[in-house]
Order: sequence, then structure tokens, then C-alpha cells
Amino acid sequence: MSVASKLLPVGFYTLAKREILRYVRRPKNTFVPPLITNVLYFSVFGVVLGTRVGEIAGVPYILFILPGLVVLGAISNAFENASFSIFHGRWNEYIHETLTSPLSYAQMVWAYVASSAIRGIAVGVLISVIGAIFTTVGVERPFYLVAFMLVITVLFAGLGVLGGLWAEDFDDLTMMNQFILRPLVFFGGVFYSLDDLNSELFYTVSLFNPMIYMVNGVRYGFIGTAEVDPNASLVVLTVLAAAVAALDVALFRRGYGLTE
Amino acid sequence: MTAALEIRDLRKRYADVQALDGVSLTVPEGSFFGLLGPNGAGKTTFINILVGLVRKSGGEARVFGYDVEDDYQEARDRIGLAPQEFNVDRFFPIKEVLEHKAGYHGIPADEARERADEVLKQVGIYDKRDTRFDWLSGGMKRRFMLARALITDPDLLILDEPTAGVDVQLRRDLWDLIIDLNEAGTTILLTTHYIEEAERLCDEVAILDSGNVVTVASPEELIDRGADRIVVQLQDAPAGTPDLPFEDDRVDAVELDGNRLVVTARRGGLVAPDLVRALDRAGHGIVDLEISRTSLEEVFVELTRTEDGAAVDEPAPALAANGEGGRR
Ligand SMILES: Nc1ncnc2c1ncn2[C@@H]1O[C@H](COP(=O)(O)OP(=O)(O)O)[C@@H](O)[C@H]1O
Ligand SMILES: [Mg+2]
Repeated sequence: MSVASKLLPVGFYTLAKREILRYVRRPKNTFVPPLITNVLYFSVFGVVLGTRVGEIAGVPYILFILPGLVVLGAISNAFENASFSIFHGRWNEYIHETLTSPLSYAQMVWAYVASSAIRGIAVGVLISVIGAIFTTVGVERPFYLVAFMLVITVLFAGLGVLGGLWAEDFDDLTMMNQFILRPLVFFGGVFYSLDDLNSELFYTVSLFNPMIYMVNGVRYGFIGTAEVDPNASLVVLTVLAAAVAALDVALFRRGYGLTE
Repeated sequence: MTAALEIRDLRKRYADVQALDGVSLTVPEGSFFGLLGPNGAGKTTFINILVGLVRKSGGEARVFGYDVEDDYQEARDRIGLAPQEFNVDRFFPIKEVLEHKAGYHGIPADEARERADEVLKQVGIYDKRDTRFDWLSGGMKRRFMLARALITDPDLLILDEPTAGVDVQLRRDLWDLIIDLNEAGTTILLTTHYIEEAERLCDEVAILDSGNVVTVASPEELIDRGADRIVVQLQDAPAGTPDLPFEDDRVDAVELDGNRLVVTARRGGLVAPDLVRALDRAGHGIVDLEISRTSLEEVFVELTRTEDGAAVDEPAPALAANGEGGRR
């Protein structure tokens, strides 16, 4: 952190550090749950089911689902972190400590987004390591893996900021996670291949699910095969992430959900 | 010299309440300025516009020349705010909360650590530095709010009802501290509904009522505007109310009750000698004379009287209830 502290503006660095310390110091709430869930996923889907499913898209099933589980863990943690932190700060009003400071609105937003994305990436790494215990996994396209992980965690951290500004109570946070994030991921090609969708309709509908492109891109990074062009996906996701972050900054400036 | 605060026609409308209805004020740099007003007058709204927690609906507000919207970073950097309600980070021990706040204002980590120790000692809760805010007692929480406002060494210290609901000892401690700060050059804006507080501390007060500035004056000037009572015990009861030839309009009323003469007048201290002379000349012997000056409180109540004639009042514990209840 000491290099970062020298390169970054003090205010931005301090807020990002505060945000990171918040989850690093309570691993029971932040890193242990995905650890347990993913050990279960790999055991049940990979080992138990995997022996019956056999190969999918030319790789063992357990290896096929690994990138999807990484994406699932990374984006839900990035989203959850940003939305919880913003909402909790609003609820207890301590977000005023940030709002009354001379940080620019862009610095505020990027501090929340960066720290949440880092949590998403950390969880992604954690899941990869768990996966590596269950199966042999390599990184075929490191550039794509890193690029996709960065972009999707930033995108979902940015969406989490939106959620945190919009939520009116804690139930809203749960709802966003259960009813929006999870279905997107489960129908996003984590557990099956697009080729397995026998119906033309399902296939077409799936292409509108942004998750397909994320899972596909991260899978390309790990195992080097893709069902959709990774370059196009990366460009679209980058544009999307930038647009969401810009919207976050605009909302902070307007004080949406933050000021009366 | 730029004023610490330059406010022109400031307006704020919430959904159905006009909280500020065209407030104009100038707070000179270095002054100890009081914003006095009954509950709901708009004091907190006024302050929150300065720090960016409330969006103004109209008008202009400048902090040391910086517009609170266009130059929000410059404006916010100069303000230290101890708000009315507790809004402290609950995840970290209080010393770290202070270091974070300092960091947001661009103070490097090592300097922030030193300053945190310093302000915790200054407000007398250094022993509690590793405790989280929730575990502090009510009085310590108030002390901490001041520490957090001071951590950034602000040019303008804003205290929103800092002593509401605190005990006498703490109130004196806080007073001493902010008097010292003011003497060292910090401009102070204090809102309160404790009149005694304003009278003791402020160079100048603005009285705010229903979103309007009723008046701006020094506490002494305000007191002078109120009517004093001069009670004179005469040796013998006069036959009728003595004729007192005052050419000015300072005297509001003269009442006689036996040998007791009660004169209600503005600036009683100046009227009294004239009164004594006049009575003497008219041959009335004086046994005793007593002047009771109006309190600022009476003037305040007079100025902020509601339409139905009842004086506005507010129970002191309201703050503590707001600050600690509910939101967790
Ligand atoms: N967030 C809000 N939404 C609606 N009305 C508000 C809000 N905050 C304050 N008010 C109203 O604005 C008026 C001024 O309130 P406030 O600034 O808190 O006064 P004071 O601090 O002098 O007690 C009151 O009538 C209050 O009810
Ligand atoms: Mg108030």
C-alpha cells in the first residue's frame, strides 16, 4: 500500500483504504462465505455431477464451470460490497464523513468502485485456488483473464454503487442480489454451454444476457476456448463499465440518495 | 478581507416546508457568530447547505469566497462541522475514524496520526482512542464530535447545538475549548437554542425564525432593545403618578403602586439617573432603586413569538433522543 499511498491523492487513497480495511478486517463476513459455498459447488457440481456429465465444450465439466464460478463470486462480491457500504453509510449517516470532505465526486465514486472491485478480484482468486485443489487448471490467456476480471468487477462495483444509492432499506439490497444478480448468472452459461441449448429461442435470448460474455471471456482466459468473440465482449463490457461509473459520478454530483 | 461566510438570499424548500426563505448573512472572519432560533427555524438546514448535505433551492452561499456548489472542494476543506446528530463511522475505533477524516482532507497519514492524538487529548478522550464510537458514553460522544471537527484544523468551525442535552461540566469544558480556538483565530458559527450560551460566547448573533433572519446584532445590542424595569421605592406614596418630563421615547410605561414606582424603559441604565433627578426635583424622597435588565432570552422570545402568541420552546433532551435512537 505504501507505493499506492505515494502515487495517489491522499484523500482518494484514504477512502479506498478505509473501504478495503472494512472487509479485510471482517473475513468471517466477507471471505469465509464464498470459500464455503465454492467448496460445496466444486464438490457437488464438479466432482459428483461432473463424473456423469463428462466433457462439455471439449473440457471436463469441473474445469468448464470453474470460470463461471469465479465470475459469479467476483461480481456478486463486488456488487455486494459497493451496495452495502454505500447503503450502510447512508443508513447510519456516516457517509457524511465522506460527503462533507473536499474529495471530488469522481474520487469518491472511484474509491468505492476500486475497493469493491478489489474485493471481487480477491474472491475470484480465492475461488480459482479452491478450483485448483479439485482439478488441474491453467491460465491460457493471462491478458484476457486479467482484463475481463478487471472490467467485470469494476462494472459490478459500479452497479453496486447505483444499488446502494437507490436502496431504501436492507431488504432492497437482498432483493437486488437474489432476484437480479443470481438469475442473470445462473442463466449466463456458468453451468452449461450455449451449444447445449437445443432451442433456437433459448439460444437467442441468452445472447442478450450480458453475463454470457463475461463468463465466456473469463473462460477464454483460463482454458483458451471461447464460444463468443472475446475481443468484442471486452470492448462492450469496457464501454458499459465506463458508462456505469460515469452515471455514478453524475448521481453523486446530484446528490441522488445522498442529500436532501 | 473575505468574509468567512457570505450568504445571499439563501432558500431551501423541502417537499412541503419552506425551511429557508431568503436568508442573507455575513459572518466576518475570526468572529464568534451565533445562529439562534427555535426548533425548526432552519438552523441545521442552513449549515447542511454549507457542507453539501442539503442542496439549496436558490440564492448563494460562499465560504471564504468559495461558492458551496461551484467550488465545493475548496469550501468544504475550510469547514469543520460538529453536527447535531451523531453520524460516525461505526466500523473503526475512534482514533482511526479521525485519521480517515484527516486523510479525506488530504492530510498525510503520519501527520494525521499525530493530529488525531492531539485532538483526542484536547477534548479529553484520549484514553478511549481504541474504542468504537458506539461504546462511548453520551458526553464522550459529544466530545468526539468536536474532535472530529477539529482534526482538519478548520478555518471555520461549525457547531450545531453542541451542548444540547449535555451536563453542566461538559458544557463548561466545551465552552472553554471553543473560546480558546476563537481567540487563536478560528471563525466559529454556533447554533443553539440556549440563550445563555449565545450571550456568553458570541460577538454577534442572527436570530432565525421560520427560515427568515429576524435580526443580526451583538447580544448587548439585543439586550438594549429589550425593556428594562426600574423599580423605585419612594419615601411617601405620592398622590398621583409623578409627571416625568422625558423628551425621548425610551420610556414605555410608568406605573405607581403605593410608594412603589415601576418604570419600564429601554436602556434602563441610562434612564435611571434622569429618573432620579426628576423625582428629586419634584420633591420625592427615594429609599431604594433597583434596575432589572431584560435578559437576552426575553428579547429572543419576543422576536420569535409565534402567531398565536405562545412563545416557542423546546425540550432539551430532544437532541439526545435523535442522536442515539433509531438508526443503527
Ligand atoms: N429532510 C427534510 N425533509 C423535509 N423537511 C425537513 C427536512 N429537514 C428539515 N425539515 C424541515 O425544515 C424546517 C427546518 O428544519 P431544521 O433546519 O432542522 O431546523 P432547526 O435546525 O433550526 O431546528 C423544519 O420545519 C423541518 O421540519
Ligand atoms: Mg437543528
